[in-house]
Amino acid sequence: MVDAQTSAGFTHITDGMLKWQDLLRPFAENLEGAKPGSLVRWFNNNTFYRKPHITGNLCYVTPVTESVAHIKCLPKNGHWKTILPAPYTLAQLSENQFYKNKTELMFKYAEALRTEIENLARQGISYVQLSDPALVYQPDGVTISKDDLQLAGEALHSMVAGVQVTTCLQTFFGDFAGILPEALDFPVDHLGIDMYETDLEGLKDYVFSKGVALGVVDSRSSLIEDPDRLAAAATSILDSISCKSLDVFICPNCDLEFLPWERARQKMNAVTAVAERLRRALN
Amino acid sequence: MNKLFPTQEIGSLAKPAWRVKAFRGERLSKQEIAEAAIWARRLGIEDTSELVKQLSAEDSPARRKAVVEWSGMIAIRLLEAAGLDVVFDGEQWRSEMYEQIIRNVEGFALLGLVKSFDFRYFNKAACYDKSRYLRSFYCDEFLFVKERAERSVKVPFTGAYTLADWTFNEFYEKRLGVGVSDHRRGKFEARRDFVFDLIENVVRPEIRKLVEAGASWIQIDEPAATTNPSHDEMRLLVEAFNETVRGFNCTFSMHNCYSNYEALAKYASELQDCSQLALEFANRDSQQPGPGDERKGFEKLALFEGHGFRGNYGVGVVDVHTDFIEPPELVRDRLLHAARIVGDPNRVWASTDCGLRTRSWEASFQKLRNMVLGAELARKAL
Repeated sequence: MVDAQTSAGFTHITDGMLKWQDLLRPFAENLEGAKPGSLVRWFNNNTFYRKPHITGNLCYVTPVTESVAHIKCLPKNGHWKTILPAPYTLAQLSENQFYKNKTELMFKYAEALRTEIENLARQGISYVQLSDPALVYQPDGVTISKDDLQLAGEALHSMVAGVQVTTCLQTFFGDFAGILPEALDFPVDHLGIDMYETDLEGLKDYVFSKGVALGVVDSRSSLIEDPDRLAAAATSILDSISCKSLDVFICPNCDLEFLPWERARQKMNAVTAVAERLRRALN
Repeated sequence: MNKLFPTQEIGSLAKPAWRVKAFRGERLSKQEIAEAAIWARRLGIEDTSELVKQLSAEDSPARRKAVVEWSGMIAIRLLEAAGLDVVFDGEQWRSEMYEQIIRNVEGFALLGLVKSFDFRYFNKAACYDKSRYLRSFYCDEFLFVKERAERSVKVPFTGAYTLADWTFNEFYEKRLGVGVSDHRRGKFEARRDFVFDLIENVVRPEIRKLVEAGASWIQIDEPAATTNPSHDEMRLLVEAFNETVRGFNCTFSMHNCYSNYEALAKYASELQDCSQLALEFANRDSQQPGPGDERKGFEKLALFEGHGFRGNYGVGVVDVHTDFIEPPELVRDRLLHAARIVGDPNRVWASTDCGLRTRSWEASFQKLRNMVLGAELARKAL
């Protein structure tokens, strides 16, 4: 898994998360006060997760992802990256039987995630992606309320303010425009956008002072994209938003677990091919 | 059925090691052969000498066929011995609910394993051309079951909407030139074309054969029904079901599980000739017996009634993803609670949440047996 990323030329390497049953499970299993509950569909995919059932005060008693991480497999060179669920998604997808509402639960999750990130930083992780599909997934077209967005931002703040890693809030399965302009002020270093679910017109004219991670390769389609077309699409997005940061990442629009192995490798190569074209155009 | 709370399974049972290995052409251990013989005898098949002979033989097409027939036969007896009113063969003849069709139809290429949940994977295909019917994929199995079953037979049939949802839609997306900017609309249009071609080229031809062969009840399995719960997608699901069953002289029902029941309930009344919706509830429910407050897992059932669905309900009272054996009292309380929500016990069937393929035969048998006993208790209570 690591070799596939390094040979594709990736700059940021993860361990591939092979031992994670789902994005929430290590938290459902290892936080005191939580336990894995019923099987539920993972957004609009043919994969499923166990809903964390919150039956008591959430307590961080043991490192959460340590038992499922393969940090020793990560290469000497390159940035070590870990992916965690964002507090908003964790709270939204949990069954809350303890706190007075999901907002309170979200802040408790943020506390636990903060300890987890600090642990990961000590082990050499330099980049943490916070996956937050619930923030943008809106099948009925109703976007998240401004109040909830503000609270989600505050939870992120209590989680990442001052931590010694670079953070990216990665959104997918939904339209990034739905969380604008508030997301531009979220206390993270980078913002990740699913280009296949986002109305690109809706991004126009916003000023991005943070880095962006452009999900231009579609992890939910087996067709291997033409890098020239994707590079052109990425360029037109970067032209239409005012991007002040030099941190532009090219990535798949969501986890590659939706693809069989060979296609996933081809998609990784497509990511690199797009990035190379953009670099060339800049030089 | 002329009794309250008839009992049914959804479709699949696990394939025991002897069935899987022998079908792959492998030799079996003495223990594996003994396990098959023990199950056969336990279910009233006294003469197991032929079974043992086949399982001990060298690999050959005849041995593979015999192994499939034996596991099908024992599975029928397992379901009947548990006391179910409606049976099938635990889908022992099928490789798997998706692959069974994909491998027998032209236009698909299996690309490899992708995750379904936990550490379970399925072999996902891409369609690279219009689908074309090659050969029957369910009929021989149905005839086999019909000849041997002593109870009513229901044929599970993977629906076109799910087949499309579980397949990478390469052909139709390429044809429409779906790109980054018009992705969502394009993907939907491509899926729509794919679904209706599948119905016309694959699903209806097979249903025609099944009906001609005497099938009287076909259950359309649509686990993917609410994967994309938008209005357009839900309308497509409804249109797909209605087109699938149109004009056939046969009873049809739909099964769906682990899904968004707010979405499905809104559209369920538009399903034409859908005699029953078999839905998953035990997974969402408490394991404590008791009425009312204990039964939170069933609250979504009321939505289907509220939105005007007037068919029967196959109510999932057995969780298929845990080895917890539901006591008959729990099954009873779940059924009585469902009957109160529906307002008419005549429209409630006792059912498993989904197929039992992830449970051992032992756990499956105990769960089904208790489901039957629980249905009896519920009948007595009324």
